[in-house]
Amino acid sequence: MSRHLRIWLPLAAMLAIGLWGLAALRLLPWPEWPALPFTPDDMDLQQILLAFGLMPRGVIALLAGAALGLSGAILQAVLRNPVADPTTLGISSGAQLALVLATILAPDLLAVGRWPVAMAGAGLAAGLVLMIGARRNFAPVTMVIAGMLVGMTASAIATAITLAQGHYLLSLVIWNGGALVQQDWSGVRSLALVVAGGGLFAALLSRPLHVLSLGAEGAAGLGMNVALVRLMAAGLAVWLAATVSAELGLIAFVGLAAPALVRTAGARGIKPLLIWSPVVGALILSVCDGLVLTIAGVTGEMFPTGALTGLFGGPLLLWLLPRLRGSTPPGTERAEGPAPRLAYPRRILSGLTVLLAVAAFMLIWIGRVPDGWAVLDWESLTAFLPMRLPRLIAAASAGAALALAGAMLQRLTANPLASPEVLGVSGGATLGYSAAVFAFAAPTSLALGAGAMIGAALALALVTIFVSHRDMPAERVLLAGISVSALAASVLSAIMATGSPQSWQILGWLSGSSAGIGMAAAVSLAVVAVAVWAATLAMRRWLAVLPLGTGVAAGLGLPLALARLSLILLAGIATGAATMLVGPLSFVGLMAPHMARRMGLARAGDHVTGAALIGALLMLAADFGARMAGFPYELPLGLFASLIGAPWLIWLMMRSKS
Amino acid sequence: MTATLFQIENLAVDVPGRRLLDDISLTLPAGQVIALIGHNGSGKSTLLKVLARQIPALGRTELEGRALQDWSARDYARRLAFLPQHTPPAEGMNTRELVSLGRYPWHGAMGRFGPQDHDAVEQAMTECGMGAFADQLVDTMSGGERQRAWLAMMVAQQAGTLLLDEPISALDIAHQVEVLTLVRRMCHAQNRNAVIVLHEVNMAARFCDHIVALKGGKLAMQGSPDELMREEALQAIYGLPMQVLTRPDGQKVAIPA
Repeated sequence: MSRHLRIWLPLAAMLAIGLWGLAALRLLPWPEWPALPFTPDDMDLQQILLAFGLMPRGVIALLAGAALGLSGAILQAVLRNPVADPTTLGISSGAQLALVLATILAPDLLAVGRWPVAMAGAGLAAGLVLMIGARRNFAPVTMVIAGMLVGMTASAIATAITLAQGHYLLSLVIWNGGALVQQDWSGVRSLALVVAGGGLFAALLSRPLHVLSLGAEGAAGLGMNVALVRLMAAGLAVWLAATVSAELGLIAFVGLAAPALVRTAGARGIKPLLIWSPVVGALILSVCDGLVLTIAGVTGEMFPTGALTGLFGGPLLLWLLPRLRGSTPPGTERAEGPAPRLAYPRRILSGLTVLLAVAAFMLIWIGRVPDGWAVLDWESLTAFLPMRLPRLIAAASAGAALALAGAMLQRLTANPLASPEVLGVSGGATLGYSAAVFAFAAPTSLALGAGAMIGAALALALVTIFVSHRDMPAERVLLAGISVSALAASVLSAIMATGSPQSWQILGWLSGSSAGIGMAAAVSLAVVAVAVWAATLAMRRWLAVLPLGTGVAAGLGLPLALARLSLILLAGIATGAATMLVGPLSFVGLMAPHMARRMGLARAGDHVTGAALIGALLMLAADFGARMAGFPYELPLGLFASLIGAPWLIWLMMRSKS
Repeated sequence: MTATLFQIENLAVDVPGRRLLDDISLTLPAGQVIALIGHNGSGKSTLLKVLARQIPALGRTELEGRALQDWSARDYARRLAFLPQHTPPAEGMNTRELVSLGRYPWHGAMGRFGPQDHDAVEQAMTECGMGAFADQLVDTMSGGERQRAWLAMMVAQQAGTLLLDEPISALDIAHQVEVLTLVRRMCHAQNRNAVIVLHEVNMAARFCDHIVALKGGKLAMQGSPDELMREEALQAIYGLPMQVLTRPDGQKVAIPA
């Protein structure tokens, strides 16, 4: 155990106990505390509130934090990816979707309790991910990508439904935020059982996981059934996380931060990771809940603690990352099977270009009218053109810009999970947008755009500080980005929980819309996209060398700091510009580069160009779908992009098994 | 006396809680194939990485009379090519593309990939016997072929000095001899320098002109292969009694006694 842990753990524990004790003493002075055993009949109201509200709440914070920390540690060990956490496998989103569906379609189900519904949703989502993973021997990269895809599809559907059925929003949002309010000890009992069972099971798995840290081949060579161990470990992690999700709601970030903190504090090997991650997770959640309790007198009981974890945990991780030593786990293993490589990439690139042109043409020409579909005649075309052209241009440019940013970041970090959404740029833009919404009584679109841009720039600056640090490994940069995203997500959850009119405006923007865009804005976005594309092509040699790692890149005399800085900057500009239009939820930046690669575009120049074309196509299709599916109402653009892209990418991943 | 390639004075490398290299002062001659040998953890790979400017070190180190940190990244890469022990996976790259990366120090990020560059790449592939593999994906080749592909990348870099970190540890005996013969031929025919980290003491004695031995982060000995191939010298380096036999052609071979 390292010195850092020895100093910080007791401090955090004291803080957690102190905060809880403060809240408890404020509720009821010490001499009046009820004696064990608690019998509600003999107690007054304050005593009941303490014994059956505050006390189980304090315990459940510890238990839930421990469960999430353990779940995250197992997932990171088995997927061998430092950015894996319970949300990565789609667990939380699956639970969320199930709850949203149940609330709207079958409210009776919820009378039994949220737990079975959420558990079923989480199980289904994780099952789907495991099924995809099974085809590749549960290889880490495939699992994480599949998990993110399933998760984003589920939350896209959930958000779309939430938007359509606004009056149920508040209760869902509170569940989403992960409130820890308790009315009795039943939650503690069931969660304690799960944590105890999970801990036991994890202890049994610790040796196989330790062997697995050699990599799949080494482990198989030692006679281990790699697929079985991976399945069992992933299953255990899902069970732990899904239980917490069902019991308390979405508590983001603890599952990611706890193992990351333990590792940066210098713990090496699986066993310390499995032991200390639950402890750290429990402390993180307890401290956060203690802070909520301390502030609760002001803002009311219902403020969700889950919304706060990112708010405190995010900056904490950011602050710790550069200070602590220690290694992140080895890079992801390449068990996915090589992506195909085309001999003549020009053909598919020109094919994509033609497709893009045809699609744009068709989308202008064909439209939906109240009683069916119509091909426009010349007269209506000239009438519609000024309305349709700007949004087409804007959608395609935004898609291309996001895809370019994603391709750059994936090559820069040599991590297939990097994308503008993951690097926190979108999160920053969201924060900026929200700030603008709240700062002005009647914000103009200019003010909102500026807000998003400034937010994106700030998030980017933060991540850039990390990048410019000497020898900062790419995984830590990713972690920094995720911290920013988590921070933004918590602020958003907190805003949503207020249920104010402004929160509706933000929620609408989150899913993106191209309806309000003017010609000038569309053209300037197109100019940005083309300029970024040109700049990316100019840097394609860096992009070819960087995936080989810093050793080779430095050996070839590549100016590492400069290359990183300029690529991050370029990616940030592209993301900031595009996010203003489509909202931060699109995930085009994650999907499009993968699609380009899976189609066989291997060389850096072809790859980024193909990704840009695919991104533009995706957004065009999404724009069309968003306009047509719910005619005459418009559905969110970013959601549609996720809905179209995610299944396509899953299909591409399944297909190219060699 | 021959010219000096590296001049090392009071070099030390620390990681938290441990000193990997301790007070090493050393002169590496130019125009020779130099072997870095020693037991596991003796610091030979660390020393090579310091020379490749991959990790910072205390003390003063000069390449061709100029301190390491005074070289610009590209100038350094034109002088010196480094092959890491574990070559990273080259996702989706064929051999020609990998070898072309070696031209980066010459054309930079924006410069034209001119006829000179094409010639250098073709020549490097021919020299390393990779001509037939030009369009094959690097990740699909065998270990020996992949090693030669990476060697070809270093050759295309046209650096005067090659630094190789255990280039033969994953190869069979025939490929070991092949790779070392290739390196030796390149050095002697084209007047290049090479510094190679080697495990195999007999290979070091047979293919290298100058031996530097490390032990526990300190310099244990340096000299010619003949000076190395003595029983007491080997015992001092590896801490194991060794027997030195002489082959009919006069070449010496060491085996554990």
